[in-house]
Amino acid sequence: MPPSQEIAQLGIVVVIVLLVVFYGGTMLMTLGIGRKRENADGYMTAGNRIGFGISAASMTATWIWASSMYASVTAGYTYGVSGPIHYGLWGALMILFIYPFGKRIRAVAPRAHTLAEVMYARHGRSSQLMLAGSNVLGSLISLTSNFIAGGALIAMLSPLSFGTGILIVAGGVLLYTLWSGFRASVLTDFAQVLCMLGAAVVVIPVIFFAAGGPGMFEAGVAAGSVTPQQQDFLSSEAFLNQGAPYIAAVLAYAIGNQTIAQRLFAVREDLIKPTFVTATVGYGATVIGVGMLGVMALYLGITPLDGDVNNLLPQMAATYLPWALLALAFLMIIGALSSTADSDLSALSSIVMADVYGQSVGKDKANPRTMLLIGRITMIVATGAALFFATSQFNILDLLVFVGALWGCLVFPVIASFYWKKVTNLAFTVSVVAALVVFLPVRFEWVSLTGVLALPIEVLATVGIGVVLGIMAFGFFGLRVGVGVGIAATLAAAPFTLFFLRDYTVLSASLVAYAVSFLVCWGLSVRSKQRFDFATIRRLTGDFDTAETPVAEAPAEDDSSRRPSDGTPAHARD
Amino acid sequence: MTIALTAYVLVWPVIVGGVLAVISRGFFRELRAAKEEGRPII
Repeated sequence: MPPSQEIAQLGIVVVIVLLVVFYGGTMLMTLGIGRKRENADGYMTAGNRIGFGISAASMTATWIWASSMYASVTAGYTYGVSGPIHYGLWGALMILFIYPFGKRIRAVAPRAHTLAEVMYARHGRSSQLMLAGSNVLGSLISLTSNFIAGGALIAMLSPLSFGTGILIVAGGVLLYTLWSGFRASVLTDFAQVLCMLGAAVVVIPVIFFAAGGPGMFEAGVAAGSVTPQQQDFLSSEAFLNQGAPYIAAVLAYAIGNQTIAQRLFAVREDLIKPTFVTATVGYGATVIGVGMLGVMALYLGITPLDGDVNNLLPQMAATYLPWALLALAFLMIIGALSSTADSDLSALSSIVMADVYGQSVGKDKANPRTMLLIGRITMIVATGAALFFATSQFNILDLLVFVGALWGCLVFPVIASFYWKKVTNLAFTVSVVAALVVFLPVRFEWVSLTGVLALPIEVLATVGIGVVLGIMAFGFFGLRVGVGVGIAATLAAAPFTLFFLRDYTVLSASLVAYAVSFLVCWGLSVRSKQRFDFATIRRLTGDFDTAETPVAEAPAEDDSSRRPSDGTPAHARD
Repeated sequence: MTIALTAYVLVWPVIVGGVLAVISRGFFRELRAAKEEGRPII
């Protein structure tokens, strides 16, 4: 028998005490690193010298957001035993697959602050704005989503309203992030990762045994709660509907997310690999583990509260956990959403500081104090905007799809720009726009994938498979293997994808974006006369604030890593 | 099958515990080193 639909609440006093302890504690942590005069570069990347413990904690905490926990539980509930794998594993691989490219990016631009800033040095304004624009939209959506998750959680587990809940979360996050920016974000990530991972270690087994332990599996099958596909570890349904579109998104989210890039520029260069590998395992195990609560709910025959699968996680916790552990689970979710929200605020402030202000006034003309003021104002404005979106009826899901697509269109041009001297600004810009133009009608089904249109789209999508796998192989094994894997994957996939992918528009659209951006970028670059000097990027992307050396300053480098006085962008010097 | 599913559910918190130990050890090492050198950890 599934349990009753009534769930226990923590009560208004307990919830307020927990929130005060959580946000008050993180605020106290940041007071310890506060400086009377904050350094503008430290505010964005903490001096590029963060150690393993903080950076691994920060990568893990940032990548685990409340939505990833909810989505993994939903995947477990919807697709059964393989569902959380098809969410968490591919999400974890996003971190892993970006690290070889991360090493290259750091080698080319060791003291940059944003990827868009590097694109400005590499190509110019239009490429920079495309990347910065998609980063801003993505971070704003993520911020909104985390506020919504916080408000919904507080409303579910206490008598407080949704509106009060999002105000508390937004205020709490802004409070500890505003003064020290990125430095506060990464330091508090350690405390938040302790909450999240510590709670996951305790909560998952306790719920499992409280809900009936191993006996729930046989009982669930006997009661007819689980279909054969949901019992199958190799479920094709789970792969095609959940896993495959996510694999296609792996590189897009890693490239398009400024929170990842910011940590890439902040961690000590020799620690990039262990940091990213640890975060991969930490993210994967935590999110898949939490997803097991959805699998349990499925076998137990539980119906989501109000029919909303997003309620399953707090519902399972409130149903099966004793009071003290329910408080711990509450902190786990608050930790997840706060760590990502503060990273989003830091990412947004960095983009506006470096890409909007820094590049528009010119390198050495940028005033670090003005930059800091702009960064802090950006955080306040972004919080206000996210609160507006969270309380309005704005459809952020559609916007998320659009931004995800834009990131997918950017992957090949961005990565190629770090390796291939021939890629021009024209090739970058036109390929992204062309990919978006083909993606949108396919994704939103403005054109029907039947008849004569279906086959060309399927051919492009099949090429897209080769592009995705080729890029992944290239990152780890180099150009020859990457090209080989890309061609082999395209040819091997063709017999299975042609006349088949037309039924899977989400997957097809993502793959088409990769294929078109690759074909156009390659086609426009291959005959290009440009031979870009990558050393230019190092010269054009450096510290803005050289008046006061950050405490965790890197060893002295040669003058070429500092910004030139003329501020001429790289492309103008070719 | 029941044993396999039980192990499948419970293995994740074990891995999470291991990662938490690795991250914590790294963090406290850095904290100790920063204190010895008289500088903030970040």
